[in-house]
Formats: sequence, C-alpha cells, structure tokens
Amino acid sequence: MESAAVHGALAEICFLTADVFAAMLVSYHRGGPMPETAALRIRIDELTSGKTAKKARKKSSAAELAKSGKDWSESEKLGIARAQAAGLAIYDVLVKIDVHCSMPIAARQLIHNAIGEVGQVLAMRPEAKTPAASKQAEFVIGSSYSVEQISTKCRIPTISSDVNVLLISAAPLKKASHEKEPAENSAPEPLPVCERSDAEGSTPRCETKAADEEAPANPVAMHEVPASSLASAGGPQVRASESSGQPTAENILRVEAGRIDNVLNLVGELIIGKSMLQQALNELGKRYPKEPLRGKFADAMAFQARVLNDLQRSVMKIRMIPVEQLFRRFPRIVRDVARQCGREVDLELSGQETDLDKGILDAIAEPLTHLVRNAVSHGIEPVEQRRAAGKPPRGKIRMNAFHQGNQVIVEISDDGRGIDAQKIRMKAVESGLITAEEASRLSDGECLDLIFRPGFSTAEVVTEVSGRGVGMDVVQSVVYRLKATIHIETRVGQGTTFRLKLPLTLAIIKALMFWVEHHLYAIPLNAVSQIARSTEADVHQVDNYEVLQLRNQVLPLLRLGRGAAMDIDRKSTKLFVLVITVGEKKYGLIVDKLEGEEELVIKALDDQTFVTDLVNGASILGDGKVVLILNLPAVVEHVAKARPTAIGVTNTGLLLNQADRTRLTESAGGRA
Amino acid sequence: MEQFAAVKRSKDGQPVRYLIVDDSVFARKNLTRMIETFGGQVAAEAGDGLTAISEFDRTHPDIVLMDITMPQMEGIEAAEKIVQAHPEARVVMVSSVGYQENIVAALQRGARHFVQKPVKPEVLYEVIKYVMGEDGLVANAAGAGV
Repeated sequence: MESAAVHGALAEICFLTADVFAAMLVSYHRGGPMPETAALRIRIDELTSGKTAKKARKKSSAAELAKSGKDWSESEKLGIARAQAAGLAIYDVLVKIDVHCSMPIAARQLIHNAIGEVGQVLAMRPEAKTPAASKQAEFVIGSSYSVEQISTKCRIPTISSDVNVLLISAAPLKKASHEKEPAENSAPEPLPVCERSDAEGSTPRCETKAADEEAPANPVAMHEVPASSLASAGGPQVRASESSGQPTAENILRVEAGRIDNVLNLVGELIIGKSMLQQALNELGKRYPKEPLRGKFADAMAFQARVLNDLQRSVMKIRMIPVEQLFRRFPRIVRDVARQCGREVDLELSGQETDLDKGILDAIAEPLTHLVRNAVSHGIEPVEQRRAAGKPPRGKIRMNAFHQGNQVIVEISDDGRGIDAQKIRMKAVESGLITAEEASRLSDGECLDLIFRPGFSTAEVVTEVSGRGVGMDVVQSVVYRLKATIHIETRVGQGTTFRLKLPLTLAIIKALMFWVEHHLYAIPLNAVSQIARSTEADVHQVDNYEVLQLRNQVLPLLRLGRGAAMDIDRKSTKLFVLVITVGEKKYGLIVDKLEGEEELVIKALDDQTFVTDLVNGASILGDGKVVLILNLPAVVEHVAKARPTAIGVTNTGLLLNQADRTRLTESAGGRA
Repeated sequence: MEQFAAVKRSKDGQPVRYLIVDDSVFARKNLTRMIETFGGQVAAEAGDGLTAISEFDRTHPDIVLMDITMPQMEGIEAAEKIVQAHPEARVVMVSSVGYQENIVAALQRGARHFVQKPVKPEVLYEVIKYVMGEDGLVANAAGAGV
C-alpha cells in the first residue's frame, strides 16, 4: 500500500513535469518568461530524499514483473485455483481466428464450444466485441486431456488458423493443492507469471498449424493487444500496442487540412465527370453500334476509372489518422476525473491503430471525452460500494475502436453500476421531460434514449465534472451530424457500453437510389438491410400507424410520396419496401421504383438554398440528375411526430416542393 | 463443380444423411446439389422450424443444415429444440453474415458449427468433415466416384 502511495506521488510529479515542459515550450515559442519550477523541484526532492524511496523503487520493479504476465481478475484466479484443486491441469490455449472467417464472433463462440468439450474454461480473453476478439481468442482451461488432444480439438477448418496450447501447471497432487487453496485466494499466485515472448523456456509448448495457413505471426506481435493490466500502481495504467507508436519523424509532412479537402473535393468532381463520360459512351454505343473506336474509348475509360478509384482511395487515406491520436489523451482525462471523484479506475485502450477520417475524429473528440467522464463519475462506483457489490475495488473503463464493414466502431465500456431504466423513467417524469403516461409506455431501450435529451441528468449532486444535464444531447447531435449511430448496452450493477458506429468518411457514401413520385432519392446503403416486395393488402394499421408484416417482424412504414395512398385500386398495388435500420430499429420505406446503387459524392447543401433537415446532402449523377440524400433519423422522427390521423393525409410533408428542387438543381449544377 | 472425396458414415459406410432446413426452395436445391457432390444423401427437407423438428424425429439424419430466418419457427429455436431432444444431433447453422449474433446464440444453444451464405462447397465440405469427426470417413480417391 505504501508503494501505491509513492507511485501515486510519482505519477503526479510526472504529469506535473509534463505540464511544466509544455508550458516551457509555449513560453519559448512566444519568447515569454519561463514558468515557475521551484514547487515541482521541491516535490521531487521530497520523493527522492524520503526514506521510502528505495523500498518503493524495489517494489515497483516487482510490480513491473507481475505486470508483464497475464492479468486475471480475482474471480478468474479463484476459478483457476479451484480447478487446480480439482486435479486438473491448467492450460493456456491461444487460437488465432482465420483471417478469412467473416464471422469472427461466431467463430470465437465455436472455439469456446470446442474447448468446452475438452476442459473447463476458466478465463477467456480478449473480451467479446473487441477488435482483438476477431483475431484471436485466448482461454485458460482446466483439463485432463493432453496438449495434443486439446490442440487437435481447437483446429477447426475455416475457423481457426493457428493453435497454441501452453501448459501452465500440470495436474497437481490432490493433497498439496488442497492445502494451498484457501490461503491463496487473494494473492495472484495460482497463475505463475509466464511471458509468451520467452516461451521456449522450461514450459512445454506445442505449436500446431492448420495445414493451409501461412507462417504464424511472431508470437510477440500476436500478443500486443491483450487485456491491459490491473491491480498495481496508483494512476490508471495503459498499455498501448507497440505498433501504434510514433512513426519516424522525417517522412512526415504537415499539411493544412483545407488543402487536402480541396483535393478530395476535386476528386469528387472527377468522379462525377467519369460517370458523365460513361453515360456519353453508352449513348454513343447505342447510336453507332458498329463504330470501332468505341472499344478504344471503353478501354481508356476503364483505365481511367481504375486510376480514379485508386486516386480517391489514396486521397481518403491521407485524411485518415489512427484513433490513437485521439485515444492518447484519455489516460490523463480518466486519471484526473477519477481523482476528482475519488474513484479508482483503470483505463484500457485497444484498437488504436484503427484509421478514421480526421474530420470525424475531431468531431467525436468532445462526445467521447464526455462519455468517458460520465463513465468515471456516474458509471464507476466509489470503492466501498464496489466492495460491497463484490466487485474488484478498481473500476475499469475500456475504450476500443475497430472496423466493421464500412464503418468504424468506437466503444466505451465501464464495469460500473449500469443505467437503471426505471430510475431514468422516474427522473424524466420528475423533471417534466415526459408525462407519467408516456413513461409507462416506453420500453427500457427507449428509456435509455432519454438520457440524450437536453436537460436530463440522473446525478443527485451536480459536481464539477458532471451532472449538469448538458452533454449527452451534445453527444447525440454530433452523432446525427456524422450520420453515425450510438447504442447503449447496460446491465444494472454490471456496467454500461456506449457503442458509436461511425462512417469511414463523410465525403463519399455507397447509396441506394430510388424514385418516389418522379423524384430521385438516395439513402446510405448500409442502412438498408433488405429490399422486399409487397402489396397494399399487406399493409395494416395499428394505432394510426401503418405497419407491414414481413416474415415475422412488424415494420412501421414510412411513406415519402403522397399519391400512393390516394389510389383507388389500392389493395392490389405492388409496393417496394426498403427495410432500413435507424438506430436500433427497423422501418419499412415505401418507394415507387428502384434505381440502383452507386457511390455518391456528397455535396453539402448550404442553409440558404435549403431549409430542411430531412435531406443531408445531394449528389450529381453522370447524366446530370440531382439526387437528394435523405437523412434517415430525421425522416423517421418526422413521420413519428406527424402521427397521421388518417393514412396518406398528413404524412406527406416529406417531398420537397418543386421550387426547392429547381433551386437546388441550379445551385448544384452551377458548382459542378 | 469440383470433385470431393465422398464422406461416409464410419459405422456402416453408408452415405451421410442430411436434413436441409431453409424457407427458400432455391436454397434447399442448392444445398442438396452440393451435398450430393460430397456423396451425401438428403433424408428430408423442411421449410420452417416446426417441420424441421418433426422431420428430424422421423428421419434421424446425421447432419442438419439449418437456416436462421424462417417463418413459423426460427432456426435458432428449432436447433435448440432438436438438440434438447437429441443431444447427439449435429446441427450446422447456415446464414448470412448479418446474423452473426444469431449464430452466436445458436452455438450457445447447441449448434455444432456454422457456414456463411452464400455457401461455398469447399467450406461446407470442411465443416461437414469436422462436424462428423470420428463418425465420418473420407472415402479414398478410388471410391470417390459416387
């Protein structure tokens, strides 16, 4: 404990020093007076001259050693000790998930199942839903089988590419382990420190490879993303993966972001030009089908298209920066907030190497900070409460980033008290956000969404860091602006996870285009989960809402057009229904005709041209047609608010009027 | 289509028998064609979870290929019920990537494996060999001409 105090002081001094250095740099640049350092010096002297200093240093090296091994939670250690006591050998099984496997989470479950057949799973790393989880899974198991048997079991075709089984402790003699068990629950003893990097040591290790797999990655690299450490010193500890470290300075160019934006914009124009050319070529082909020059033309076009694609990707890559640049400020934030609130918190970062558009990264910096502050001050309980709840006294906050399809997911999770939907309901009614009757109708999930409302706070006490009721609405508005989604997963008493799904870039989207009443619209393709055909006869009315039953789900319907509802012969009218996902809910969007999918270069609409939030951009197609890109969350909200009293009467406000459209076409065309 | 060495049951050398569950006739046909190239035999087909359960009880196939989204009863529930009643049943989930959570759920409820739609024959073949484990026998090249 003494050493922890010293560690705390040491960390404090380090941070202070960093601040002083930063201040020095600033004053150096500005030619101002150097900042005061005497106070810092005194603190350093205090620490180094203190009697405890030497002892502390020794202890810290011991802690260092412990840290390099795997860290397991108390309950896991207990489980391991029990399994040992039960006469099982303890193995560490590391399975690399096949890179070609498109469903890593399912793969992981399958491996878990397979291992479950040969032994008792005592601990599992990394946690599910982390990026590392899609690459490998690590288990500690108690088993009576041999290393070979276990590794055979884990070699699953198309799922696992590399299996590593390491014997941690052989089946102990029953007597000895029984004596050991009770005394050692608190100590991290049962799991001897075993560094992977020098695995050739005394521990037997069996490496097996699936036949069709390339050479195994170097074992150290494979382990660069494991769970970070717990338990030792004062401040939150962070273990960043080495690969995301500082790149060499000489090859880096600092360029003003505006210039890159300009290039990207021009590339966008080029893409429009490409599709114009393509269109022209198609027409040419129709008019002069025998023209021999056409082939040459087409070849040149194909070549140009390829280069253009590369160009676009390269330019987008310029804008991409690793999330690490954002994440690295959080250890300090967590530490500071934790100190202010008197919590003990460890921060664990992973997925720093994930690239994200600079603009998006900048935009989410503030919401993320807010979420992290919230997690520390609201999520993690004070130490006594945690002890009482049987949790480790140190709270844990995890930040994670990874790619999923065309999106980047950033997660912030804590193992704190979770969010109590009931409490939110009460608070919301109390503060007058909703009525009691409304509250009773909301599902728990919808209740959680209430925390995004402006003015909402569940904190009993307003503190310096949080509880003022602003913040979550800011998070929400940024999320909408970025066409991102945020999802809350919470379990009372166990913790909360905020999951931000962000688009890779803001400038270009894959979109599905469709016609509604002779107007062309587009929606992001990743929002579309299904396209279905149906008839008006399948449309039912529930509570003045139109719904459609599709297989066994009931979809609320959104109509963009006004004419469809007026048809006399309605029952037999065929409908195209796009099943779209907004937030966590699915809706059916009725359209007249589908046009196809295309990569659209989004042109921002300025506020003067356009006064609606239903559309968040426009794009120009090769033939000069303007397509409006719908802002789905706003569209859904609009329809929900409209609450039609009769079908087709009020929910028609979505269509832009003709004047808007013409104006838009002109302004967009002028720019192109 | 590629040639695969036939997989037989090791206990009696008979073809492996399958139950194919999918609400799309096309998907069922496709799977049938595939497993026939593996020397397998379709014991029964079902278009929904309820039928799948009754067909399983009737035919006791070696392997069930189960779709996830189906009318009446979803694949997960059907898989769970089948495994509850017959712990030895080998259920392989067949689904598209978007249903990863459902696959995880199915695996937790006793499914043995999964393949992704669109199903690639070589993948399905490997999966079947794995799922059959010691109860399956890969016929040697000479015997593969089924």
